Amino acid sequence: MLVSLKWLKDYVDIELSAEELAHKLTMAGLEVDEIKKIGPKFSGVVVAKILSVTPHPSADRLSLCDVSDGIETYKIVCGAKNIASGDIVPLARIGAVIPGGYTIKSTVLRGEKSDGMLCSESELEIGDDESGIMHLPADLHLGLPLERALNIEDTVLDVNVTPNRSDCLSMIGIAREVAAITGQKMKLPRIKIKESAEDINSLTSVRIIDADLCARYTARMIKNIKIKESPVWLKARLEAAGLRAINNIVDVTNFVMLEMGQPLHAFDFRFLEEGRIVVRKSKENEEFISLDGKTRTLPANTLLICDGVKPVAIGGIMGGLNSEVKEDTQIVLLESAYFNPSSIRRSARKLAMPTDAAFRFERGIDPEGVTTALNRAAQLMADLSEGSICKNYIDEYPAKIQSAQDIPLRMERVRQFTGTDIRVQDVIRILRGIGMVLKRKGKGVFLVTPPTSRVDISREIDLIEEVIRLYGYDRVPVTLPDVSVTETAPIARLELEEKIRQLLVGSGYTEIVNYSFGSPLAADMLCLPEKDFRRNSVRISNPLGEELSAMRTTMLHGLLETMKRNANNGSFDLKIFEMGRVFLNRKEGELAEERNMMAGLITGEISDTFWNSGKTVDFYFLKGCLENVFNDLKLNNFSYTSEITESFLHPGKSCEIIINKDQIGFLGEIHPDVMEKYDLKNHAYVFEINLDILTTHYIGRKIFYQGISSFPAVTRDVAFVVADTMEADKMLSIIYDQKEDLLENVSIFDVYRGKGVSEGTKSLGLRFSYRASDRTLTDSEASAVHERIVQKVVTLTGAKIRA
Amino acid sequence: MISELQKLEKDALAELSAAEAEDQFLNIRTKYLGRKGLLTGLLRNIAQVSDNEKPLFGKLCNELKNSLNSKIDAALLEQANRNKENILLKEKIDVTLPGNAVKYGHIHPVVQIRREICSVFASFGFSIVEGPEIELDYYNFEALNMPKDHPARDMQDTFYIEDNIVLRTHTSPVQVRIMEKVRPPLRILSPGKVYRRDSDVSHTPMFHQIEGLLVDKGVNFGDLKGILSAFLKKIFGSATTLRFRPSFFPFTEPSAEVDIRCVMCGGKGCRVCGQSGWLEILGSGMVDPAVFQNVNYDPEEYSGFAFGLGLERIAMLKYGISDIRLFFENDIRFLKQF
Ligand SMILES: [Zn+2]
Repeated sequence: MLVSLKWLKDYVDIELSAEELAHKLTMAGLEVDEIKKIGPKFSGVVVAKILSVTPHPSADRLSLCDVSDGIETYKIVCGAKNIASGDIVPLARIGAVIPGGYTIKSTVLRGEKSDGMLCSESELEIGDDESGIMHLPADLHLGLPLERALNIEDTVLDVNVTPNRSDCLSMIGIAREVAAITGQKMKLPRIKIKESAEDINSLTSVRIIDADLCARYTARMIKNIKIKESPVWLKARLEAAGLRAINNIVDVTNFVMLEMGQPLHAFDFRFLEEGRIVVRKSKENEEFISLDGKTRTLPANTLLICDGVKPVAIGGIMGGLNSEVKEDTQIVLLESAYFNPSSIRRSARKLAMPTDAAFRFERGIDPEGVTTALNRAAQLMADLSEGSICKNYIDEYPAKIQSAQDIPLRMERVRQFTGTDIRVQDVIRILRGIGMVLKRKGKGVFLVTPPTSRVDISREIDLIEEVIRLYGYDRVPVTLPDVSVTETAPIARLELEEKIRQLLVGSGYTEIVNYSFGSPLAADMLCLPEKDFRRNSVRISNPLGEELSAMRTTMLHGLLETMKRNANNGSFDLKIFEMGRVFLNRKEGELAEERNMMAGLITGEISDTFWNSGKTVDFYFLKGCLENVFNDLKLNNFSYTSEITESFLHPGKSCEIIINKDQIGFLGEIHPDVMEKYDLKNHAYVFEINLDILTTHYIGRKIFYQGISSFPAVTRDVAFVVADTMEADKMLSIIYDQKEDLLENVSIFDVYRGKGVSEGTKSLGLRFSYRASDRTLTDSEASAVHERIVQKVVTLTGAKIRA
Repeated sequence: MISELQKLEKDALAELSAAEAEDQFLNIRTKYLGRKGLLTGLLRNIAQVSDNEKPLFGKLCNELKNSLNSKIDAALLEQANRNKENILLKEKIDVTLPGNAVKYGHIHPVVQIRREICSVFASFGFSIVEGPEIELDYYNFEALNMPKDHPARDMQDTFYIEDNIVLRTHTSPVQVRIMEKVRPPLRILSPGKVYRRDSDVSHTPMFHQIEGLLVDKGVNFGDLKGILSAFLKKIFGSATTLRFRPSFFPFTEPSAEVDIRCVMCGGKGCRVCGQSGWLEILGSGMVDPAVFQNVNYDPEEYSGFAFGLGLERIAMLKYGISDIRLFFENDIRFLKQF
């Protein structure tokens, strides 16, 4: 809401500076976002005195004047008749700019030089008088800039009115707040209606069919009007409020809306068929052309103002083109009504017509202020258009709006809730200051009736808020609540996330955060099969764009896009991870399944030190990192299986991650086809892990100390030549499955293909370590166990022992 | 003879000090002290020395022999040490080259702020709770005193999935879900992602919020001021000036916007604070009785306060970031700075 201070001063005296007032309003809940100074529409115009006036030697209608600005004397040629020596007038000197953007230059008129221009009110757009040069008070200091001499400057406060304060969407509403804050008296406009003999009831009628959407409809008729431009004062008011002036009738409706908060509409009566008003709901898909010339297809139950035949306005939102006030309008039917806030809001949203009127109606206007505004506007219209107001007004009020009355307010509750020891007389003063009526009802209890404009107040808490707001939040003493806390169980997943985050960052990974939504094409880019569950994404019905319309079902797309963005910026070496949710669609009407995931991507050089670069990341680098993390978390029983069918992963370099038989995620290189779809060049390795499942294992993990033997171990190395397809894990599990007690550990020390090992096979070098906990193993004891194991491996796998 | 001895000593010392290499020292030893050495030669000629000088001459010769020997030994040892050192010096590396460990990664700045705030509130006894990001209209709006068609819904431009399902526009629905399940007293904190249909330099369609709620018997507006003041002073420093000013949120009443003195200009007015000298940091208020009624808490018995703040905004102020979109572009050159 733009609030002109000049205008505001029509209703309340203000002694504070704009800055002080802005601060006080802000601290009372009416936040001032900006203080704007509005200057005059001219510059370089000063107060001057006419020293002499002589006729122009060669033009009857012009005069030659000597004009002084107190320092210099100027020769001015002037065409106006109303000037005489000694007059104080506005002088636009050379270089001055007057409205319309004209710059005053030195000219020669009929042979006489003119070094400036004397101005009329209308030339400076100070007033409407264009009959002659403006005369200024004689006591003004010569040379004073005119805007200062006449106090033309204005200050406009941009007040951020919160949705509950519909009463402050008007100048009088703001003035009421100012009066309450500063203790000044309100000066309300005096409305004097001069009615003609003709009764409105003999000329028109109003019939409300749908009273649930229109509780009250009032109307007045003004005849014999003349449409013209509004006077300068009115135009200035509208402009300060950010509205454009149109004509005297329309401008009055806007002016009164801004002044009192009541939206109004003026119909050209000659276009109302059957000369009457009918208020009803629309039928589905009724068409209507609004004032702005746009054809609107109305949803059902939009409130329509109709004449005897057709709609003439969308009630509370916008008038119709078919009944608008035109240059030759002579009779105006003026509407002031109360419309149902929810209905207006629904319609305005559906129609995408957030008009000033709708904005006020949907927040709730003062139901008892409807006629005041009607009369105020009728009077102004008549005054400005030389029209005459018909006798009486129509007031259809089928459904009385109940305003809050006698709300109980307990002093004890006020003090307890606010944490202050505010005095009774302060509470009374504050509430009366904003127009509330208080009745005492026993000790420490009042019955409070708010003004009907305060539609936001109906409960005790609403009154307490008013009290503390105007008492001042800064006067509430700072305290700390007593601690009596039942602690909610901590979320284990968050603890796990935090640990993993630390470990990954320590391993060189940087955390990223992507949007939870992305392109629905992600599923195609990742080559997900037709029936993959990740194709079933939750869709946003009103996304910011198609590319941000699908809730993610995997974090991979975001990682690859991040890689792409960084590659475009010349950053090719990445180790990144993200923790967040993915969303899986369920049945319509049900909330999505939200899974907590973590995912990561690496690409490029291992080291970010250039002088020592050269090694690039690979599958084992990423796997090693995850193994480190799991080890540190004391999560055991991990296994990795290459039996995986993720379409976006390289079929030969990918695996599932399994913990205690739960599949918790995958790890692998991105499939070259997918890389191509993303237009990415380097290799990228990724993982994605379900943190919810991981957490269940994290909670259940146990650490048991195992005794350390003080006896030495015996080691044996063997190189098995096995089929290339034989996985190390398989070998190890065959060995451990022998359950030999003396076998302490087997580790892989070598994987070799090439010379000496035939095509299609590889050599796996294994180091066996044997130890007894109670004695030193003899060589022969160890050998016996070792032979058994090796023999078993050979039998089960067909391996050959490499010499 | 004694003078010859003195000359010999002088020559030997001169040669010794001029010598550098090991073989030179050994040669000097042979030249003077060897079996055919010069000193040995002098000793052999002892017969030419007068009898009364003989003992002195013999003594001097021995002394010279011992002193030369130990000087040569010392020189040889020093020489050996110098050699070892030279070998090591040949292995000299450039210690100014950068180290070669894999560099640590970086925690996302918003996550860092979240951790900081959560730990401050943990010290005030708040526990962390979570809720769904795709939320029912009921929890996101209605239970928070924002029925359908309420103008306050304009304050948050909403992404819809279906008519009754939205992307949560704030983390406040979590407090309703918790209150439905848990009886007071309650101190909870719910951090998380929230979504609003908005995108420019200061808005992204997704951002992070932290919502807090404290409910107990007799909690008042002064307590709200107390907890939030303590919190902001921990985050922005104990000298931080703050102010509480009336505002409106549908689910709190009275509501307060909390501002801190601009951290950029100290209150003089600048671009960051829009010339006001103050920065809006968080929204807060006493829980509206209507919200308590929705979760079957008796507003006559219990009162409480709630607050919420945007993490990106705090991070932007703390780190001097002017474009919120940077947080989600994940440019590694940006992330590396935190
Ligand atoms: Zn500032």
